[in-house]
This record gives sequence, structure tokens and C-alpha cells, in this order.
Amino acid sequence: MSRLRRFLRTPEALAGAILLAVLFAMALSASLLFPGDPQAIAGPALLPPFQNWSLPLGTDRLGRDVLVELFHGARTSLAVGLAAAATALVIGAVVGTLAGFAGGLVDEVLMRITDAFQTVPGFLLALAFVSVVGPSLGVVVVAIALGTWTGPARIARAEVLSIRERDYVAGARVIGMHPLEIAFREVLPNALPPVLAMSSVIVAAAILTEAALSFLGLGDPNRVTWGGMIAEGRTVLRTAPFLSIVPGIALLLTVLGVYLAGEGIVETTAVRRGLS
Amino acid sequence: MSLLTVSNLTKRYSRGGKTLAAVDDVSFHMEPGETLALAGPSGSGKSTIARLVLRLIEPDGGRIEFEGDDFLTLRGAPLRARRGRLQMVFQDPLAAFNPRATVARVLDDPLRIHGVASRSERPRRIAALLERVGLAADLAPRAIHEISGGQRQRVAIARAIATKPSLIVLDEAVSALDVSVRGQILSLLLDLQRQERIAYLFISHDLGVVRAVAHRVILLDAGQIAESGDARAVIDAPQSAIGKALVAAAPKLNRNRP
Ligand SMILES: Nc1ncnc2c1ncn2[C@@H]1O[C@H](COP(=O)(O)OP(=O)(O)O)[C@@H](O)[C@H]1O
Ligand SMILES: [Mg+2]
Repeated sequence: MSRLRRFLRTPEALAGAILLAVLFAMALSASLLFPGDPQAIAGPALLPPFQNWSLPLGTDRLGRDVLVELFHGARTSLAVGLAAAATALVIGAVVGTLAGFAGGLVDEVLMRITDAFQTVPGFLLALAFVSVVGPSLGVVVVAIALGTWTGPARIARAEVLSIRERDYVAGARVIGMHPLEIAFREVLPNALPPVLAMSSVIVAAAILTEAALSFLGLGDPNRVTWGGMIAEGRTVLRTAPFLSIVPGIALLLTVLGVYLAGEGIVETTAVRRGLS
Repeated sequence: MSLLTVSNLTKRYSRGGKTLAAVDDVSFHMEPGETLALAGPSGSGKSTIARLVLRLIEPDGGRIEFEGDDFLTLRGAPLRARRGRLQMVFQDPLAAFNPRATVARVLDDPLRIHGVASRSERPRRIAALLERVGLAADLAPRAIHEISGGQRQRVAIARAIATKPSLIVLDEAVSALDVSVRGQILSLLLDLQRQERIAYLFISHDLGVVRAVAHRVILLDAGQIAESGDARAVIDAPQSAIGKALVAAAPKLNRNRP
């Protein structure tokens, strides 16, 4: 409870939490408030915002309701961002733990693979993967995770290298515990905090990558995405700039919110650790 | 038949280009139910011997025979299965447990791994183990970091005896405890030894404690055995230079001497 209060006392963290709360509310209420196809034609094309109160944010080139698209886009952004980050963290934690705990040849091989992935820019990797496999929500998630798991893997490995020398790991060996159980039950959970501390940056990056892929037309074609909305608006940028600006601002605020809230969490837990 | 026979055990570490023999051609044996102390100054190789005997690190040479088997050739599942017979208690009882563990989980692990008791039977076994080491059974759900240092060391002993070992290595197991708690833990250990005939490889730099609990003692100096024999005889009249120095440095012993 006091940790939550301390978290909310920092203005940055509070701002981040509010932004995230709004985002989650939008994502969760999207199909309640706006059931039906978000890509359906709702009115005249290219209606500017704040003209018609049944279409507050106006309509796009095809007459689709921008507000509805924004809400449904929040859902995609959030779902893809969280799923991709979770996938990257899980892969990274598992690879890093195996490499650090096993050592020797296993470590060598796993870290060379990590190097290989890290040399290729994450966005190119995602781009290549989606182009080959084809765009769908799951593919986009995996594509983004492919380029992001290496950071968590390195951090997990470094942490595991220090943890595996602790007495309690020796103690687990002494009672005859299987090495895999030691790695994943004794070591990995204790190596997680610094890995999880990266999650806000990873989620923010994943949301941006998803938007970029959608912008390039490599997002799931059956879903509204903010990146796709920006791309759509680009063709009428001079006459209807709001079509790109509105989802652009949403994207910016989301990434900012994730980042600020994440930093706030890391800071409050760090303070707590420092005090205890 | 000896319980443990260690022959010509050697372990070298390289540090800054130089190799250092942390354990240098050490041989000794242990009988069932006896307490053999390893004493010596800091850095003399006591912990390294403990880790070698427990197969936590591999030696550069020598042989270890445990319960009649060539212990160094065991690996994988057969080694893990045999580990139940050879347990350890660490110096720092807080570092010796997973910081996320509860007392129950710490005691459940060896029972589960070695198939000592079925899942439904284990809570009762855990309660019995806790009582065996003088703790209340309702300590089981508590987190390891919540209980006191003395309680923690009792839990460590309970964990060590869970698989009915024939040998427990105690590496400075009472050194971090308050004097009063230390006495209680030592009498618990002696009590367990009397009833279960467990042998202790008792590592300590405190010759007073060694004299009180050990049958025999080995004095180590720079990885080598400087002197060994009956614990009281050696400590009351050390022959080696390191033995004399250690006795001179132990204030309590000086007072007791005639
Ligand atoms: N992992 C290691 N790497 C390098 N040197 C080590 C390592 N472990 C122990 N040593 C060295 O071996 C010697 C014996 O150490 P140790 O067995 O811990 O002594 P003790 O327990 O008697 O204090 C010391 O000089 C120590 O620095
Ligand atoms: Mg030591």
C-alpha cells in the first residue's frame, strides 16, 4: 500500500499511470462503446474534428469514424506491445538463464546466437520476418520479439552468473536437485528483477515497432492500428493533417505513459530495496 | 569399512598467472558416527576440501571413497541420488537458502527429490523434522528471511537430516551465531549424532569449539595437513608451528590450560 502511495507521489509516475489508465480504458471499452466493425463507413469522407458531435474526431478518407478507429487502435497497440514484450522477456530470461547457468559450450553457442540477433537491427528483423511469413497479429508479435529478446537475455545471463555462485545454489546441488530445476526454480526467479526493470522500455519500443510495421503496410490488415491510420492519413497530409496527427499524438502519449510509469515502478522498488 | 576415505586430494587455482594449491595432497579417513574437525587459519583450504568432498567442485587429483564407492566417478542421476547420504550445513544460514523460500519448501525439496515421502505425507514429515531440531511445527509456512538466525540454522540442520545422511559437512556452521545460540546448536548436533550415528566433518577456525565437539582434528596450513590426531591431545599440546600459533591465538584455550 505504502509502495503504491510512494509511486503515486512522484509526478512523472503519476502522469504515466494516468496516461496508461486512459489507454487501458480505451482499449478495454473499445468494443463496448463502439461495437461492430470499426472500419465501417460512418459518415461523409474527410470530416474535420469538432464539427459534428456524433463524429467528434471527424472521419478519414473513406468516411470511417476516427474516434472509433482510435479506440480500437489502442487495443491493437496495447495487445501487440504487451504480448511482444512478454514474449521477448520470456525468451530472453530463458536463454540468458540457460547460458549463464550451464556455462561452457552451451553458454558459448547461446551467446553467439544472441550476438547474431543483436547485430541485425530489430526493426529490419521484424520487417523481414513479417514479409516472409505474412502479416497477422501473432506474426507481428513474434517479429517484434525476435528483435528485442537479446537485451533481456544479456541482463538475465549477467545476473545468473552472479547468482549461481551463491551458497543456496550449492545447497540445491547438495540436496540432489536436478540442474534444470535449479536453473528455473531457484536461479531464474531471483534473476528477474533487473530483467523486468527493462520491461517499460521494451513495451514502449514494441508499440513503436508495431506502429512502424503497420505504417509500412505490414500490420494485420484486419485490425485498426495507429500506424495504419498514420499511413492512411499521409496521402491527404496537406488537406487533412489531423488524420495523421491524432493517432500520432495517441502513440506519443502511450509511449510516454508506459515509459514514465515503468520508470516510476523501478524507482519505487529501488528505493524500497535501498531502505531495507 | 571407512565411511569416507580421501586420498591425495589436490585442488589448484590459478591466480594472476601463478597457480596456488588450495588443497595439496590431503589424505584422511572418517568412521561412521565420528566427528572429524578440519581446523586452520583462513585460506588454509578448509572450505575447498568441503566443496571437493561434496562434489561441488572437481579436484585436480586424488580419490574420494564414500560408503565404499569411488565417489569421483559418479555423475548425473546416480550422483544426485547418492547426495542424500552426504549433506552440508553452511556458515551463513541466510545465504544458504533461496531468498524466496519458505521453511516448508526448504524441507519439502529433499523429501520430494529423494522420494522419502509421498506428497500427502510430506507436511507431516516436515512437522516432524522441525520438531526434531527443536522448532515449532507452525514455523513451516514462514518465509526464511522472517525467522531468526538460530532458527534458520536449525532449519538448515533439519534439511540436512531429511534424507538420513551418514555424513554431514558443517562448514563454519556455528561461527556466525551468537555464543548462546551456538551452544544450543552444538548440543543439538551432538544429540543427533548420538541418536542417528551421523558423522560430521566439522570445519571451524575456533579451536575451543573443535576441542569440545570433535573426536579427531586435522590442522591445515596452506592446503596441507600440518598435524592430526585426537582433538584434545592435539589442541592441548600442538606439535606443529601452525598448531602452536592457532592455540596461542585462541584466548579461551589459554585460560583453560594448566
Ligand atoms: N574459486 C576460487 N578461485 C580462486 N582461488 C580460490 C577459489 N576458492 C578458494 N580459493 C583459494 O584457495 C585457498 C583456500 O580457500 P578456502 O578453502 O576457502 O580456505 P578456508 O575455508 O580455509 O578459509 C585460498 O587461498 C583461496 O583464496
Ligand atoms: Mg572457509
